[in-house]
Amino acid sequence: MNSKMRIIVNEHMDAIIEQWIELMKEEKGERFFHFMPQHLVEKTSREFTTLMTSNITEGESALNNERLDDFTEKVIRFGWSIKFVNKAIDNFAAVVFEMLEDEEVITEQNLRIFMGVFTGWINPLRESIIEAYSIKWEQTDTLQKVALQELSASLIPVVDKVSIMPLVGTIDTERAKLIMENLLEGVVQQRAEVVLLDITGVPVVDTMVAHHIIQAADAVRLVGAKCMLVGIRPEIAQTIVALGINLSDFTTTSTLRRGMQEALSLTNREIVEVE
Amino acid sequence: MNVRIPILKLDEVLIVSIQWELDDQTAIQFQEDLLNKMHETTARGVVIDLTSIDFIDSFIAKVLGDVISMSSLMGAKVVITGIQPAVAITLIELGIRLENVMTALDLENGLTKLRRELEA
Repeated sequence: MNSKMRIIVNEHMDAIIEQWIELMKEEKGERFFHFMPQHLVEKTSREFTTLMTSNITEGESALNNERLDDFTEKVIRFGWSIKFVNKAIDNFAAVVFEMLEDEEVITEQNLRIFMGVFTGWINPLRESIIEAYSIKWEQTDTLQKVALQELSASLIPVVDKVSIMPLVGTIDTERAKLIMENLLEGVVQQRAEVVLLDITGVPVVDTMVAHHIIQAADAVRLVGAKCMLVGIRPEIAQTIVALGINLSDFTTTSTLRRGMQEALSLTNREIVEVE
Repeated sequence: MNVRIPILKLDEVLIVSIQWELDDQTAIQFQEDLLNKMHETTARGVVIDLTSIDFIDSFIAKVLGDVISMSSLMGAKVVITGIQPAVAITLIELGIRLENVMTALDLENGLTKLRRELEA
């Protein structure tokens, strides 16, 4: 049964590809088939179909993992969505099925058996593609997390007794913990007396973020330094007041520059221009 | 065994360095000792140094808070110095904010701060 199917599929490969491309072009929301150069579409489609047929042409367990990985990577680079790839597999199966019916390999009598063969062929492919996608996602996710951790929260000693921690990006509980640890360790290590928390790069300040910031400022006070909140943009000031968050316990300024001046005057110093 | 925490007097400042984790008994004893010492002498300021403390529980934190309020009742200013980052995080997580308490990075800074405060 399988060998017959294999022969027929191999013979009609070109027709299948053509039909499949036609079907895929009708898919809405995917521009790949319309905007990519013809030869690239041709090449990718051929690769896709070879991959699709590889486990029937090469026998049951011959689903080539390495090739599958290569292909998935390429597809992901092209920006195909998983939905689109899924659709592609569906369409491909439909085309092959139709063709086999036309060739009378599949008849009313053996339909049931062929259904089994068919699912046994298509499903593992679909599963491995989905798996490859999710692995890719997980990788991206971890990479981004690591990148974020590297980016976030370093305490910079600017002048004697004054340090700045610029915060960029959304603050969640996990990051807030990291921020607090880095902040306190840094204060003790750098012997800072004033710390400026710069929130210019924080897009949203909600009650949770404010809570974390207040906690951090309190902890800084306990280790013996003063924490100032700088870089409060007008819209942030509006949300803070609208949410009823009380930040009156610590000094806040709109820009880092003014914060710096304040910090210097707190440590009894000032900036003088040299004549 | 009853271990007491030494309380040293320097000019008009009492210096206390807590070197080991306090148990409840010692903490209470310390509270009494400090208040008595303050009564006997003419100290106007107290520095409590916690540099060697890596761990603090809620009871000790409460005693510390009490000591600070009692001292200010008796007319002395208190500075706590050398709170470790881990201890600060624990205190904040326990909800103990130690408001109205002066803090400093180390003993030196603490003394400077206290002197400035006493002169004012």
